[in-house]
Amino acid sequence: MTAVDFSDPATIAFLAAALEAAGVGGIEIDRPGRKLRIVVGRDAPVAAPLVQTMQETSGAVSEKVAASIMGVFHSHHPAAATAPSALPLEVASGEIVGFLRIGSILLPVNATKTGVLTRRLAEDGSVVGYGDHLFEYEPH
Amino acid sequence: MPNGQNNAVERERGFDTVLIANRGEIALRILRACKDLGLKTVMVCSQADRQASYGALADTLLCIGPASAGKSYLNKDAILLAARLSGAGAIHPGYGFLSENAAFSKAIEDAGMVFIGPSAHSIATMGDKIAAKSAMIAAGVPCVPGPDSELPDDHASVAAIASEIGYPVIVKAAGGGGGRGMRVVLDAGALQESVAITREEARQAFGSPALYMEKFLQHPRHIEIQVLCDVHGNAIWLGHRDCSMQRRHQKVIEEAPAPGIAPEIIGPVAQACVEACRQIGYRGVGTFEFLYEDGGFYFIEMNTRLQVEHPVTEMTSGIDIVQAQIRAAQGIPLTIGQADVVVDGHAFECRINAEDPETFMPSAGTITALTLPSGQGVRVDTHVHAGYTVPPYYDSLIGKLIVHAPTRTEAIVKMQAALSEIEIEGISTNLPLLRALFDDERFAVGGTDIHYLETWLKRRSAS
Repeated sequence: MTAVDFSDPATIAFLAAALEAAGVGGIEIDRPGRKLRIVVGRDAPVAAPLVQTMQETSGAVSEKVAASIMGVFHSHHPAAATAPSALPLEVASGEIVGFLRIGSILLPVNATKTGVLTRRLAEDGSVVGYGDHLFEYEPH
Repeated sequence: MPNGQNNAVERERGFDTVLIANRGEIALRILRACKDLGLKTVMVCSQADRQASYGALADTLLCIGPASAGKSYLNKDAILLAARLSGAGAIHPGYGFLSENAAFSKAIEDAGMVFIGPSAHSIATMGDKIAAKSAMIAAGVPCVPGPDSELPDDHASVAAIASEIGYPVIVKAAGGGGGRGMRVVLDAGALQESVAITREEARQAFGSPALYMEKFLQHPRHIEIQVLCDVHGNAIWLGHRDCSMQRRHQKVIEEAPAPGIAPEIIGPVAQACVEACRQIGYRGVGTFEFLYEDGGFYFIEMNTRLQVEHPVTEMTSGIDIVQAQIRAAQGIPLTIGQADVVVDGHAFECRINAEDPETFMPSAGTITALTLPSGQGVRVDTHVHAGYTVPPYYDSLIGKLIVHAPTRTEAIVKMQAALSEIEIEGISTNLPLLRALFDDERFAVGGTDIHYLETWLKRRSAS
């Protein structure tokens, strides 16, 4: 089987399109001595997906937590008595980092990896759509 | 209806924010109509369309699901949720997707919002071809010869019906449409097998084995009549169109008015359509589709929504049909009567598809360069621009080129000029086919039937 050349721009473009179509926020592919990271962003609404190739594997890499469904975003449980923790915030994989309210239903937003939440990208109480970015974080 | 009652209906159906449950050129068309009416807009989109620049023109843009239409533009629950979250008071379905879904219309109205289209009952009646035919016969609309009832199960009775109509006949699924679920039967020998196959196809494709039978017309034209109705019992027709230039039941070129049909021939038919609207309590815009052969009109179906080709009627009538549709949905009475409707000049529309002009395979990709024609009497309805990426998930229609001129001959010349100006690079389009058709001598005469393009394409392939 022929190894896929992840430095080929056509391959990168194909992957970026596939990620965008699947509603996935990004992907990282590690190879000995090099790493490919593709982030499908919506920060620039009309811009093409942001593609970054990195030759070095060292250094922090930020990723996004995206909404899996549309709803009203809450960074903490609306019934919680205490204020939400300030960022940056260390979180474990699976930990609840926010909520999406749909009518009377409150769905948790979970961290997919252990890491540090560095920035909140959606305003508390705002309506967010499917795939909208909620947090930026740096996985360990 | 007294003014007090009108005002009450307007208050009940009033809204100031419209959710647009569609994509592409029609989403942009509806958005512009809303803005002209001073209404706020919520555009919903799939993940594949979230980067499309037209979305940024809406007051609110909300991604409702992945690229798959089933999980986004066909997802009733997601669209209703988006309407609730965004505070929309009405939903415009555009065409295609959920535009003729009675359950969607009902769910919206049950949720206290306004569906910009007819009632669920009207959609369901017209969606059932047998019920629609019964309603049309009751209103005096001419129909294709054949009973307005479901075919019986026993072959002898079916054979007797076919014999009474006279061969060739066509067997159709009651729940079908768009050219699917139908079979032509040339003689009695092929009847039993054809009915059995079509019944099974109907059962699998539409969930109902119900069939009906009609006379098969051999060289008809496709003529349609545009109607506009309010919720106060007022109904008018805005003109007629010829949409005979079709490939596999998909329209390629449309024109208004239909050439060569005298007003005294089509006028009574159109008035019967208007009467049918009154009888079934129809609201909003709609299109009665007919086959026209040897001077006779035969009703085939009613489209209970905005049509792709509505711009040609807008050009000849001077009426913004989308705005009129929204105002009707708001409960505002029609401000014009039938006597105010005029047909001025002639209009053509070319559907520009992202597809190979020879094989008709869809052509997704990025438009690298785009030059659009302009000038008096030239209109382009499109959402695309240089740099826009045509996604592979949806219909291949990327724009509509519309021209308007005093006469049909002048409109053809104007369309030829517009087609020579337009350039789209980076993807394949059907522009070469459209240019060839507008250079075709028989098309220039007018009145070609619905089989003309298929025959023309076969002749081209053979040569």
